[in-house]
Amino acid sequence: MEGLILNEKNVRLQVLASDWEDAIRIGGNLLVEQGCAKPSYIEGIIHAVKELGPYIIITDGLAMPHTRPEEGALNIGCSLITLKEPVLFEGEDVPVKVMICFSAVDSESHMDILKMIVEFVERGLIDDIAKAETYEELLDVIQTN
Amino acid sequence: MLQILTVCGAGLGSSFACQMSVEAVLKELGVEAKLDHTDISSVGGAKADIILSGKNFEKQFERYTLDCPTVFLDRLVDKKEIKEKLTPVLKELGAL
Repeated sequence: MEGLILNEKNVRLQVLASDWEDAIRIGGNLLVEQGCAKPSYIEGIIHAVKELGPYIIITDGLAMPHTRPEEGALNIGCSLITLKEPVLFEGEDVPVKVMICFSAVDSESHMDILKMIVEFVERGLIDDIAKAETYEELLDVIQTN
Repeated sequence: MLQILTVCGAGLGSSFACQMSVEAVLKELGVEAKLDHTDISSVGGAKADIILSGKNFEKQFERYTLDCPTVFLDRLVDKKEIKEKLTPVLKELGAL
């Protein structure tokens, strides 16, 4: 399943981001490049996080930036970035080192992406994903553990 | 049937992921429930027996008068934390 969702086009490893906003823009741009979202979707995420707090952090070290489809989602899609230097969100103690951005068109049909993310967490892969230097190493972590 | 609602900012990501973990925990506990997820702005009119949400939403919940127990989680997909915090609530409601 992961093989279908993640590919070399929507993965960037050991990215340098100046802060959480920058990191969301980098991950969000991958959605835009894939034709899954308009640039407004990225700004929508950033705005929502500022307004509601970091609801996109679902466990230590992992954020899944997303917002409502009407902010500019065009299709179901996702991207994964890992950060060379983890970024801290306001009000949080643990910095984020893996970001999986996604776009959804309704409240259900992106279930496979969420299942993948929950599975990564349940299998305890976040630290190893964060350490991967190449796409092949990432696949190794996801497929063999 | 017991209705459990998970809540987050957009109502389709974090809350949906949390719903999946809650589902797994309920299965472990042998409790049957109807699960759904929604966003914080719709929670006022939502019908549920138990609501779960992230700690960062605790303050925002204060503006709603809810007549059901609310559980706040540090980590939305942490089955251990969900089980720990959900079990006493389920017992109180007689579901366990």
